Amino acid sequence: MSVPFRPIVSALLRNRTGALLVAVQISIALAVLVNAVYIVKQRLDKMNRPTGLDDQNIFVVSSTGFARDFNYEATLRDDLIYLRGIPGVIAASAVNAVPLSGGGSSSGINTKPGDPQGGETGNYFGIDEQGLETLGVRLIAGRSFRAEEVQPPRPSAQGMWSSQVILSKTMAEVLFPNGNALGKTLYDGDDKPSTVIGIVDHMLGSWVSQDHPDRVYFTPAIPPGPSVRYMVRTQPGQRDRIMQLAEAHMSAANRGRAINWVRPLSLFKKNSYLADRNMGVFLATVTTLLLAITALGIFGLATFNVSTRTKQIGTRRAVGARRRDIVRYFLVENWMITTGGILIGCAMALGVGYWLSHEYSLPRVDLYYLVAGVIVLWGLGTLAAWQPARRAAKVSPALATRTT
Amino acid sequence: MLEMHNISKIYRAELIETHALRDFSLNVDAGEFVAVTGPSGSGKTTFLNVAGLLENFDTGKYLLDGKDVSKLSDDERSRLRNEKIGFIFQGFNLIPDLNVYDNVDVPLRYRRMTYKERDQRIKKALDIVGLGSRMNHMPSQLSGGQQQRAAIARALAGDPKFLLADEPTGNLDSLMARQVLDLLEQINEMGTTIIMVTHDIELARRAHRNVHVVDGQISDFKAYEPRTDVLAAASTASL
Amino acid sequence: MFGYYLRLASLSFRRTPGLTALMVLAMAAGISVCVMSLTLYHAISGNPIWWKSNQLYAVTIDSWSPDEPLNEKRPDLPPAQLTYKDATWVANSSIPKHKVMMFRTGAIVAGGSTGVEPASAITRVTSADFFAAFEVPFKYGSGWSARADEGPEPVIVLSKETNEKFFAGANSVGRTLRWNDREFRVIGVLDDWQPQPKFYDLNNGAFDAPENVYIPLRWGETLELYSYGNTACWKPESLTTYKEFLASECIWVQMWVELPNAAARDRMQAQLDAYWSEQRKLGRFPRPRNNRLTNVDQWLLDQQVVQSDNRVLIGLAFAFLAVCLINTVGLLLAKFLNGAALAGVRRALGASRRALFMQHMVEVGMVAFTGAILGLAFAWLGLRGVRALFATSTVFNKAGIQALAHIDSWSLIFAVLLALLATFVAGFYPAWRIGRISPATYLKTQ
Repeated sequence: MSVPFRPIVSALLRNRTGALLVAVQISIALAVLVNAVYIVKQRLDKMNRPTGLDDQNIFVVSSTGFARDFNYEATLRDDLIYLRGIPGVIAASAVNAVPLSGGGSSSGINTKPGDPQGGETGNYFGIDEQGLETLGVRLIAGRSFRAEEVQPPRPSAQGMWSSQVILSKTMAEVLFPNGNALGKTLYDGDDKPSTVIGIVDHMLGSWVSQDHPDRVYFTPAIPPGPSVRYMVRTQPGQRDRIMQLAEAHMSAANRGRAINWVRPLSLFKKNSYLADRNMGVFLATVTTLLLAITALGIFGLATFNVSTRTKQIGTRRAVGARRRDIVRYFLVENWMITTGGILIGCAMALGVGYWLSHEYSLPRVDLYYLVAGVIVLWGLGTLAAWQPARRAAKVSPALATRTT
Repeated sequence: MLEMHNISKIYRAELIETHALRDFSLNVDAGEFVAVTGPSGSGKTTFLNVAGLLENFDTGKYLLDGKDVSKLSDDERSRLRNEKIGFIFQGFNLIPDLNVYDNVDVPLRYRRMTYKERDQRIKKALDIVGLGSRMNHMPSQLSGGQQQRAAIARALAGDPKFLLADEPTGNLDSLMARQVLDLLEQINEMGTTIIMVTHDIELARRAHRNVHVVDGQISDFKAYEPRTDVLAAASTASL
Repeated sequence: MFGYYLRLASLSFRRTPGLTALMVLAMAAGISVCVMSLTLYHAISGNPIWWKSNQLYAVTIDSWSPDEPLNEKRPDLPPAQLTYKDATWVANSSIPKHKVMMFRTGAIVAGGSTGVEPASAITRVTSADFFAAFEVPFKYGSGWSARADEGPEPVIVLSKETNEKFFAGANSVGRTLRWNDREFRVIGVLDDWQPQPKFYDLNNGAFDAPENVYIPLRWGETLELYSYGNTACWKPESLTTYKEFLASECIWVQMWVELPNAAARDRMQAQLDAYWSEQRKLGRFPRPRNNRLTNVDQWLLDQQVVQSDNRVLIGLAFAFLAVCLINTVGLLLAKFLNGAALAGVRRALGASRRALFMQHMVEVGMVAFTGAILGLAFAWLGLRGVRALFATSTVFNKAGIQALAHIDSWSLIFAVLLALLATFVAGFYPAWRIGRISPATYLKTQ
């Protein structure tokens, strides 16, 4: 039952190069596998984050007035009445920017006036009284804006600061770490005060790939014309139908403006994550190919080793080795090479992981991934050598006496 | 034509030194048919390797066709092997995926020759060994005897100074062995020198001269009578 | 001799068809992944105006807040845009050969052939030198003159696609278009122009297609146009009127100059520094001096067009190629050593070491050649796949990505060379090893 380690090692050492080449392949495969899985998991986690919005049932309309006689405020009023009146629409709001779209505005707000250092930058959205309802965010404290609080349109560079502000949960925690942001006062760059009247649950803002994508706040303000975006939330299943309806009607009803596009929010979301998705696809594909090539390489080499040693195998069998002893011999030999490769590979995996964490400012690879990778490669190596080992066992003992 | 003076070869492996050839001297003249005999492990394989320039030796002098081979580079040795020596192996050593014609062609490829010249030589060699009609056969389609004959044709095609045969009939049954030996005698009569290494005494009888090797040295042991009549004819032929 | 070796090589392949197929496929896979990754990387990190890269300079001044840098991750860099008044000063300098002050905005364009619906058009509001400085090709007409900049004259330049939309691709020079319901006269139509990346304005969508229309810079002031790009302000100041906006510390303008030689660049730098000192004394520019003239190569580096993702993918591609190469070396080594007996016979028959080496290198070469061709075919297919992956974003202005994923002639040459080099490197050691065998060792002599 004992496994002859030493003769296997000395046999390997005599044919160093082949074994070394396989070991190096395994080491690279391990390094790549561990880190690729880590990156893919990171990206998947990022993509599967809850957005905090009802992102499957919202669509966005982009309208730009261009006629000399274009009346922005009247158009706004009419559009909202129309949109809110469509059966199946839950709520509609004019907004200055669209969450998850990659475009938006951010500005710094302060807990103390005249304190240029003490503020935090937040991604802000100017909405009207139906804004929170349209986005589908959950109010966890306070209240939403009232219609009379909504500011009329002002020139663009002034921003959209108002007397009331609603913060996202994360924004509130950052500005008021001791809790209880409700009722407190915040100041913009001009030291104009605003009261926190509500806090909404965690939600993602315009840029999903930034460091703090969930630091969001809302002000009751209408964006300045002549361009505006409307966000419309529908009952489940009604979105596409209502989108078509709205586009047709709004284009025809007002000829002094162009409806640039009507798009579902889910499209913006998908595009925001496109780079992440493609990275994941590429990583998964290449890693799989890599493992396949490594496995095939091990298989090919093992087959060859067996075919060159038939006389030796025959001799072993002639002197009493059973079939399973032969199988065991080759599996142990293969296992040694695989282990050697894995040891080198661990060092490489950690090295690559360190470089990646530096490149992405992410925490280092969890050892859990390394252990899993080691197990996978051990399994792969054994599987690849299985068939050649079994073929070796079938070699006839009669080969011991043949000289040709 | 082949002069070995006091050749020694030592194999060193980890802790063991084997003196394969000790103070070995041998002269072979043109036209001779010499058999080198001896028991297993006597050093006759080493002699073969050294004589055929397949291996180097440690001390002594080896003159092949008057040229001292000790200071030759590997390239020069290869060329000498190619041009002056024709090898015949016990296991034939034909290349399995080339046909007979291409097998005979192999040594000629390493010389500068036109296609026509190569073609002529190959066909002539195959005629001598009697395989002219089987030029396109693969080795697997030939009997053992035919394969050895093809190998002999390969050895002859380059017009070597001597043939070096290692147990040429070892893998053949008695009928084929006799045919091959007849062929070798025939070739020798045509003027080619042959040095044959064998452990078979019967085989050795067919040669003109025997050299018996024991423990790396030539011994005095004679198991038979040398054929002096043929020896005499050979030496006059070389003048 | 070469023909002989080719024949021997093909016989050798037929002896071990599975192994040969594995080697060729492994090489092809490695080469194709590398070629694909490098093609994309090359497209992304390319310099679309490389022939002029050393004469075009982005002008940047650090006018930002004293409390913190604009970009926390690169605190050494000044902001990428200027305030309106600083850009105006640069545009009045007499040192540069060309001066380009610009920003981008949006509008609705209407008119043209009958039946064409009004559509939104991203507009570049720029000084006249834009077209000369960036060597933008024209299909019809030309850009406007400096005089038109002064007026400003209601002239407009269309991109090729916009011309196709509104005038069905005809020569529309002289015809009118309504830009935000104001009449503009078409003065030029651009030819195909897709600089990848859009080096002159990397603020939003570095790989998007360029703007749809171009109008003279002065229209910004006249029509009180705001930027559709990035506008960033740090100073608490009144911004109620457009005039206040133009006079503010908000940065939203891109500024490029063309300086034909080092002497001009030095003079420009000196003038810039002098202006900075002067403004400093008036209480502006609280941050340390960081006036830069950055050429295009450095600009692309500073603005980090190449992301971490791209670098990781390149690293992965090369790791993959390495594994494929090592795989092939191992297999070739095993295959050659397995045929050592035959090689020994040839050595005995008089083949020199070099002859054996050459014979085996020809075999390696055939693997290389086949692997290279297959690899290129796979790469071409793979790039089509990449285009499909990005296809969902064609809704937006990402026409650029289409241009990215095609193998241009440079990539092709590079790919072929890479493939051949890789396989020769892989095969060299095994061929050398087999060449070195001594004739006696593997020969079956009794």
